[in-house]
Amino acid sequence: MNVATTAQPKRKPSLGDWLKTLTFYELLVGMKATLTHLLNYKPITLQYPHEKRLLPDNYRGMLALLRYDDGTEKCVGCDLCEAACPSRVIRVVSGEVPGEPTKRYSKEYYMDMTRCLFCGLCVDACPVDALGMTREFEWAVYDKRQLHLNKQQLLAIGDRAYPVREKRLELQHPNVAFFNVTFKHLPQKEN
Amino acid sequence: MEIGLRLAVSLAQIAAVMGVVMLTVMVLTLAERKVLGWMQDRMGPMEVGPYGVLQPIADGLKLFFKEDIIPAGANKFLFTLAPILALVPALIGFAVIPFGPTMTIELFGMQVKPFVISDINIGILYILAFASIGAYGIILGGWSSNSKYSLLGGLRSAAQVISYELNVGLAIVGVILLSGSLSLVKITEAQAGGFWNWFIIAMPFPQIFAFVVYVISSVAETNRVPFDLPEAESELVAGFFTEYSGMRFAFFFIAEYANMILVSCVAAALFLGGWNAPYPGTILEYIGLERIAWMENVVWFAAKVYFFLFLFFWLRATLPRLRYDQLMRFGWKVMLPIALGNIVLTAIAAYFFPR
Repeated sequence: MNVATTAQPKRKPSLGDWLKTLTFYELLVGMKATLTHLLNYKPITLQYPHEKRLLPDNYRGMLALLRYDDGTEKCVGCDLCEAACPSRVIRVVSGEVPGEPTKRYSKEYYMDMTRCLFCGLCVDACPVDALGMTREFEWAVYDKRQLHLNKQQLLAIGDRAYPVREKRLELQHPNVAFFNVTFKHLPQKEN
Repeated sequence: MEIGLRLAVSLAQIAAVMGVVMLTVMVLTLAERKVLGWMQDRMGPMEVGPYGVLQPIADGLKLFFKEDIIPAGANKFLFTLAPILALVPALIGFAVIPFGPTMTIELFGMQVKPFVISDINIGILYILAFASIGAYGIILGGWSSNSKYSLLGGLRSAAQVISYELNVGLAIVGVILLSGSLSLVKITEAQAGGFWNWFIIAMPFPQIFAFVVYVISSVAETNRVPFDLPEAESELVAGFFTEYSGMRFAFFFIAEYANMILVSCVAAALFLGGWNAPYPGTILEYIGLERIAWMENVVWFAAKVYFFLFLFFWLRATLPRLRYDQLMRFGWKVMLPIALGNIVLTAIAAYFFPR
């Protein structure tokens, strides 16, 4: 392909060209365009703090930790979100639930939201849907240390963003209940 | 006693004109942002007051309370002098502009001309002379800031203002030939009696070319888009007033808008008949209200001036900035020959068909 541009042979200006130059034809075309916009004034501005745009359903906003409907935390401290995070936002300190050696939870859970790029990989990685992305985005603060969130703050965001919570995992999946033979307090298999 | 009274009346007149000009500057700062916004499908300022109408007051307060910074290495004397040197010539030109019909009223036993502060017989020359001094404010401000952007802005301004000042002066010569006077009052009176007497289309030689040259040159002279090379914000930060802040910056700002109003007033007075209505006489006179006929004339003058000011905004919303060599070539190779040719043809026409 010939990339080199060849100069167009210069056309001799015709009478029409001269007339256009003399009457500022090109300028008038542009000025007509701006005047048309002035007369058909339809601003596309959204007066932001007073009116807000409609967010899409899959909007990825502020991250939050979620609870089950009985108030227990969903997080099992598996560290998968920490592993999935490309920006090293999350830090999880995992621990055993006291008295229940088979159960784990996150003793501490930190998010440095100054680094978060809202990709949602942590939410995808979570095996128990303990993380959620809310539709909050107005998180401008005067001190950026306020964006280093701990577990309580993240849970609070989840509480206010998701007032309707899920049931416990054992209760919402029939197949889990089906195999639930060891725990007598859980719903048993229907015979 | 007599002198003191005359001084008091003159000062009151000056205060009234200054008040109107400052009010117009305030209106213009808002109007420019609004018109630009509307032309670009935006809203302009909307926060202060209903539809943002109190924005100029907020801007003024902000500029008044801002810190006044003088950069290290700046020439303090010239740095302080430059804004004043830019503002005073812009305001002083209004002394000879006739805002309304020529009439005298009796006030404390004195003859007072209410619509012109001072009808001196070289009015237009006086305006041109002070407009040239205004360029010193820009050049000195650019030089004394000790900043490369300011210096470049000042340099550009020097070349630009000199080039286009010439065209303004030459474009006006045709009008002066036709009217036979340098006084703006006399020039305006010579255009009385309908729009066909306005110098833009008046026989024996319509000054339409001079008018176009004048409008383009005056846009360049006031450093407005598309000739805003001295302050070209995408190239020179803010040009000659990059280092200015607070009230000193406000002075430059007011000077720019006052200059816009001044050149609009001159254009209206020279080419569009000043305060004359586009029909002979005034409607208020016909229906028997001679005493308030001046109102109609003042409204016509204001309408013409605001048309030019709107044209300034309109051009700003439409046109991109010229390159420096284009600006110079356009000024010297296009505008200057047109203005000179206009003078020659007007002189010939005025000789053979004296008014």
